[in-house]
Amino acid sequence: MSDLDDFKATYFDECSELLSELEEQFAAIEAGERDADRLNAVFRAIHSIKGGAGAFGFSGLVGFAHAYETLLDYVRDGRVELTDDVVTLCIKANDIVADHVSAAKNGEELPAEYGHEEKVRFDVIARGGSGAGSEDDDMNGEIIEEFDIEFTPVRVELKVDEAEESGEDDAFDAPPLEAAPGSWEVRFTPFRQLYARANDPLLLLRELGVLGEMSVRAVMHDVPALGDFEPFGVYCSWEITLSAPDLTDAAIREVFEFVEGDCEITIVPLGATLSRSVAPAGMPAAAAEPGVADLLALTEDEVADVAARPAAAAAPAVEEEPALSFADLADEIKASAPPRPVAPPPAPKPVAPPKPAPSGEGGEDGGNRSVGVQSIRVDLDKVDRVVNMVGELVITQSMLTQQMDETLRARYTELVRGLEVLAQTTRGLQDSVMAIRAQPVKSVFSRMPRLARELATKTGKRIKLETIGENTEIDKTVIEQLSDPLTHMIRNSADHGIETPEKRRAMGKSETGTIRLSAEQAGGNILIVVEDDGAGINRERVLQLARDKGIIAPDITPTDEQIDQLIFAPGFSTADAVSDISGRGVGMDVVLSNIKKIGGSVHVRSWTGKGSRVTLRLPLTLAVLDVMLVKVGDSPYVVPLSSIVETMQCSRANFERVPSGGQVLQVRGEYVQTIDVAQRFELPTQTDPDDRFVVLCETEGSQKVALVVDDIIGQQQVVIKSLEENFERVDGIAGGTILGDGNVALIVDVQGLRATQFHKNAA
Amino acid sequence: MTLRVLTVDDSRTILAMLHHTLSNAGFQVLQAEDGKQGLDVLQSQEVDVVITDINMPVMDGIEFIKNVRASGQYQSLPILILTTETSQDKRDQGKAAGGTGWIVKPFDPDKLISVIHRVVH
Repeated sequence: MSDLDDFKATYFDECSELLSELEEQFAAIEAGERDADRLNAVFRAIHSIKGGAGAFGFSGLVGFAHAYETLLDYVRDGRVELTDDVVTLCIKANDIVADHVSAAKNGEELPAEYGHEEKVRFDVIARGGSGAGSEDDDMNGEIIEEFDIEFTPVRVELKVDEAEESGEDDAFDAPPLEAAPGSWEVRFTPFRQLYARANDPLLLLRELGVLGEMSVRAVMHDVPALGDFEPFGVYCSWEITLSAPDLTDAAIREVFEFVEGDCEITIVPLGATLSRSVAPAGMPAAAAEPGVADLLALTEDEVADVAARPAAAAAPAVEEEPALSFADLADEIKASAPPRPVAPPPAPKPVAPPKPAPSGEGGEDGGNRSVGVQSIRVDLDKVDRVVNMVGELVITQSMLTQQMDETLRARYTELVRGLEVLAQTTRGLQDSVMAIRAQPVKSVFSRMPRLARELATKTGKRIKLETIGENTEIDKTVIEQLSDPLTHMIRNSADHGIETPEKRRAMGKSETGTIRLSAEQAGGNILIVVEDDGAGINRERVLQLARDKGIIAPDITPTDEQIDQLIFAPGFSTADAVSDISGRGVGMDVVLSNIKKIGGSVHVRSWTGKGSRVTLRLPLTLAVLDVMLVKVGDSPYVVPLSSIVETMQCSRANFERVPSGGQVLQVRGEYVQTIDVAQRFELPTQTDPDDRFVVLCETEGSQKVALVVDDIIGQQQVVIKSLEENFERVDGIAGGTILGDGNVALIVDVQGLRATQFHKNAA
Repeated sequence: MTLRVLTVDDSRTILAMLHHTLSNAGFQVLQAEDGKQGLDVLQSQEVDVVITDINMPVMDGIEFIKNVRASGQYQSLPILILTTETSQDKRDQGKAAGGTGWIVKPFDPDKLISVIHRVVH
């Protein structure tokens, strides 16, 4: 990848962040939070997008962003009132910016008139809302013109007449010009503020010297007597003669561009009269000026340090310069003062060991070390590689530990200790690596307010979206998989949950329905909850539909909770009419399959007339799982530790038969559905039933299920390998893993097992 | 001696481009994402020249420059304002705050370097 491509990639990354920031800000602005901070943030976001776009020559984007930015600037400083109309226009403008960005990203060209209408409106509003249609063309021309000024290749231009510049001034690729007088006399009298802004006459003189043959004479008659001498006073001015073929006064002025207003400059063609005569080249000007003698006397005495003070000093000296005839003077002054009295001497601080950046996260490499930045951007592939390697390391480490039998342990105590340390370090490494991938859910949550807004418009309902726990961090891969499920869930809430304002009023509820989106960490899981205060699930209808569609057998009477869960069944849709929003029959089952794919589970609860709640339980990370290793038949299986409540020997478990032929386990007065894993997976088992074990697991909504296995081997960590990628999807199995001894073990999908068991029983 | 340039901009794209151009030209580049961070860097690092954006969150470029100038240690530190503004406004504000000069975005790499040499030894 070329550097440019790199920069572009950075830019597009940044754009997508800025665009989601915009969305977030406008959600708040729409909700009435129109404070200055938000407006500034919005302005900055557009400004940054425009800035980068300019660098890459995305002119369509620059043009639009510029017009939009101008409006925002007016809004920001109060010249334009932020009415609802303006907000709506801005939201539309954000979309257009986003379209421009994605067009630029994909190397596409948007039609020239794209966004034109909005651009026109920006200007109309910026002009006080009175803009008539007739002004359109005119005005649009102006926008483009402005943009041209700003983004044609940059010229650091002088505020003087659009004049010719020197052909020799290659630093500022000047256009060729016609022959000019070529010899000039320049009088340069700095004011105090020139020094206060850290400009340096020496540098200016140097730059002048590059233009041509130069002689400089320091005018020092203003240097006062010692008694009146102020160390920080500004007493010195310079008379310069410059000659080079084609040298123009514009080129000379350009050198003084930054100090315009901070000094007095007179430029006249040589031969015209300066008020003071120019000293001939080579003449030691010092001798001519009585004040200089004073100064020199002063500097030789006690004041060498005066000049070294960090401030603008009386007489900045000038160093060796081509054709610099005042070198003599410079030498004299240099003898007493450092060439740049203002600069703190570098010597006392030999590049000290770099201090850590304020964040305490300072890197250790020298060279182009960047400090002050609290984050670095790393290609996700690189992180993934590390994650994978760490995963493999975890396996190797656990393999090593397993291979240490008792004899070896007794014999090599040092080795054992080493292995323990290795285990600890590996764990630490793994945690750290996972933390790298973690991101706040904000990036997904922030897209939702807008969705809610759109849904409200489309359905004619009033919907308020609340988000809680946006800073909860989850693995990046999990986050990426969250967007679709969340969209479906919110759509579902808006479409089926929240009632129309009339209906809500009739029910004594507030007209505005609330959808609450929250995230929190609970143990090794992240819980994402979408709740609404709508009508709740219409169970009769759900059950009827499920029966009609053959999702469950007609003779089964599921519990309320089981009915609620049916909305996730594939092909299930309760929408009376297929709407634009949800109800396409690929709604909630997508949620379930997406979430399952990332090792999570979904649970729904509903309260008739009061609302419903969908809970997504997600793993903190995808890569490594804490598991309990069990034996079923002769094969090893693993059960995610996060779902295990307790284990017990079958001999001590209290099983009871139920009429349907199944078995339940009675635990502390609660009856728990029991699944014999061997039977379920049709594996032969020779283990004495009393020697078998019960693994009591908890699934969504505190539903318990007891798994009967042949043996419990122990706890360990495993790296999850997808079964679907390597084989195919198997009900009741969440994936596979390679154990320390090289054997493959399957990961039991407890929730899935329970659900399929239910359907099985039901069928 | 390697010159140390502190670049202050909230846009990563701009920071990256500055870093690239400046480090290719042999400068040592320090970075900060807003004025506040810029001040932090100045407190812990010696810097020869600063290039700063104006529009930034937390502390904007104008405030940043004022703060730098207010500390005795940095009265003579050259500060270049990075600006896309064509309006004289921002430059004037920046200059009034104590800015030494300016660079107009998008910048031409050679020009950037020559402007730096215009304000620093």
